[in-house]
Amino acid sequence: MTQDSIAMPRRRALLLATAGAVLAAPSIGRAQGFPERPITLLVPFATGGYNDRLARSMAPFLQKHLGQPVTVMNRPGGGTVLGNTFYMQQPDDGYMVMVHSAGPYIPLSILTRNARYKADDFHMINLPSRDLTMAACASSKDIRSIDDVVARLKADPRSLSLGVQPASADLINMALFLQAHGIDRSKVRVVTYDGGGPARTATAGGHVDVGFVGGEGFLPIKDRIRPLMLFSDEAWSEYPGVTLLSDHAKANNFAPQSVDGSQRGFVVLKRFVEAQPERYRILLQGIERATKDPECVSTLGNQQLSTTWYGPEASNRAYLSSAALMERYADLLKRT
Amino acid sequence: MIDFPAFGSAVGMLAGSPEAWIWVVPGLLIGLLFGALPGISVSMAMALVLPATLYMDFLPAIIFLTSVYTGAGFGGSIPAVLINIPGTSSAVATTFDGYPMARKGQHNEALGAALFASCIGVLVSYIVLFVLVQPLAEIVLRIGPYEMAAIGIWGMVLLGSIGGSTVAKGLFAAAIGVLCGTVGMNTAGYMRGDMGIPWLLDGVPTIPAMVGLLAASQLFALVNAKFIVEAEEHRTISLRRILDGGLMVLRHPLSQLRGTFVGIFIGAVPGIGSSIANLISYGEARRASKDPASFGKGNVEGVIAAESANSSSEGGSMATMLALGIPGGGATAILLAAFAMHNVVGGPRFMEQNRDIVYAIILSNFAQAFVLLVVGTGFVFIASTVVRLPLRYLIPSVLVMSTMGAFAIEGSIAGPITLFVFAVLGWLMSRYGFPVAAIVVGLLLGRLIETELLRAWQLAGGDPLYILEHPVAVGILVLMVVSLVLSVRRDVRRRRAQRAEA
Repeated sequence: MTQDSIAMPRRRALLLATAGAVLAAPSIGRAQGFPERPITLLVPFATGGYNDRLARSMAPFLQKHLGQPVTVMNRPGGGTVLGNTFYMQQPDDGYMVMVHSAGPYIPLSILTRNARYKADDFHMINLPSRDLTMAACASSKDIRSIDDVVARLKADPRSLSLGVQPASADLINMALFLQAHGIDRSKVRVVTYDGGGPARTATAGGHVDVGFVGGEGFLPIKDRIRPLMLFSDEAWSEYPGVTLLSDHAKANNFAPQSVDGSQRGFVVLKRFVEAQPERYRILLQGIERATKDPECVSTLGNQQLSTTWYGPEASNRAYLSSAALMERYADLLKRT
Repeated sequence: MIDFPAFGSAVGMLAGSPEAWIWVVPGLLIGLLFGALPGISVSMAMALVLPATLYMDFLPAIIFLTSVYTGAGFGGSIPAVLINIPGTSSAVATTFDGYPMARKGQHNEALGAALFASCIGVLVSYIVLFVLVQPLAEIVLRIGPYEMAAIGIWGMVLLGSIGGSTVAKGLFAAAIGVLCGTVGMNTAGYMRGDMGIPWLLDGVPTIPAMVGLLAASQLFALVNAKFIVEAEEHRTISLRRILDGGLMVLRHPLSQLRGTFVGIFIGAVPGIGSSIANLISYGEARRASKDPASFGKGNVEGVIAAESANSSSEGGSMATMLALGIPGGGATAILLAAFAMHNVVGGPRFMEQNRDIVYAIILSNFAQAFVLLVVGTGFVFIASTVVRLPLRYLIPSVLVMSTMGAFAIEGSIAGPITLFVFAVLGWLMSRYGFPVAAIVVGLLLGRLIETELLRAWQLAGGDPLYILEHPVAVGILVLMVVSLVLSVRRDVRRRRAQRAEA
């Protein structure tokens, strides 16, 4: 017993010392050398979407500022559960960074798909793109304004059909909006679409009367739709003159409540930030420089991709507050 | 509707730029090769070459990608005919008659017919696109849940009991397919049957499941055979017979045209695309045929119907992409991404301001259809050497390739596991005389019908009479009932006549 109790700490100490020496020595060298092999941008969506385009367009500029080739990997499925789970299984070496619609997908996957990670397992480096829920109808419809929509639904909740994605920030916004006007959602004809694309097609094609879906995706087909309201308190230059939720709420005497439609950008694991602060700093710096690179700003700007630099602090704050809001309204998501 | 000055400048653009041409043949070859590999889809082939297009000018880049698109559209039918495994999900119906033809030693004819049907399908669909881009896109955009549900039900009625020795066995198999198709989250956000496995959140991976079902049911049936084609004298690879197969297409213009138009409209519907169009077209050809019993046993009309529909969906989905900026499927989404990579935003404004470029893309696709005829013939000629390969080498290679393809398409072990599970299911089903094809049809159409019917119900708010506001859907359903009644009457008469003869 005694021998053991002496031997153990000694062995442990030895182990720790060697481990420390082994780890300490190369970690200095490695920190200087990082990154020494290609970096992968993991996109938890299929090719062609906003995140995929953002990742692919940023890749050459990240390459320039990080000094290593940057490749894009898509791992779609399960409302990002598959991509997120895969990412959680990777080593914390900083060679993989996610380009993700972190808000709302991470909190939503936890609330509606019982994913096993937590919202604060993820750390936002920068979320340049913020998409907003927009209420819109096909330009051929006779719906003139959001007040028109409210008036018709109040007169008869079945008079208009509303298109929305289930388990989405758009659904929360729509539900809060109907609630504020005292319209019984269970009586409204709500039609669900599994994806922003199908929901927009249904709106533009007039299959549903009003669609509640992210406004950014509507930009290429702007001429075919009539924007009715933006769920925001800030005007959007792409949609000038469109009613804002904040103004609409003031006019109708209720407190405006909404969540951001999408917060997209560069995401790593909190675990990695804590374990490898030096590598994190290098990544952060590289991403910041690439984002601010004038050439990058103009190239991405032409593709209607956003390059605003908010930094980790503001990005994490925005992400966590929207995650908290979603948790608060979780019960709104559960009945469609 | 044709803007002639823009047309002239498009011709000039293509004539004056050799760069626009040099990529056509490599593009078609890449497409053919990847399309022919089971598990690599059209959109994956395009995604793989997408980075290379960054270094090209805009027009050559788009022409290169559409060449890959065109090549892969046909490439999928090669393994469908030769080894009963559809190279892409849109070549499922090609296996129904293509593979029986191959086993009878008519692989040359089957591939030739598939090739010609594809080329003509591409050509006609682009001609329609050329003349009617805008109206075509408008029509497709109007196809909503009611219309889609009606089309899906039509397909199910036509193909529900396909290949079964009895109708009951066929329907049972189709029901299993439908059940498997409903696993995962439905469009209203409800989870069904995922058994807590995250890989099933989006449902059973369709392509590995399909490959598993079709491959297993056939490969096990080949256990005692030495070659796919039993008779040695039929194991020939003949250019003349490939061309003969092409001529068969010309002898069945109705199947070809029907398939082409089904492909243009149904294949163009965003999100559903060509994997449904080939089934509907096949089902229609079978229903309209004087001898429906010959389908599934090696009737060349089945191959023509399937291939004309899956290749003409290319033109249809290009219409929604060009005129509306809405990608109809993975392939057009990648084309839009390529647009974006060249700082071009696709959509209505692009169409208006760059009609000449749009025309140049369309004209180049006319040319691609003809080039495919030549390149495809050569490719098919080489690919059909598979029939000379002893099965003891072929089967293991096919299994390895399918497993790798299943891994590639899912990016995880979920693909091979699905393949294995469905291979066992497929073997069990065919062992006891249940048609595997019907499971595949159920798997592909079941999900579509469920999704669209659910949306239709939501739109109606529970009021069944709401369908009357969708005359097109009602029209499709009425047509369906009428045509069914007619064919039943015809069958009854024929049987009576046979009985009278006997």
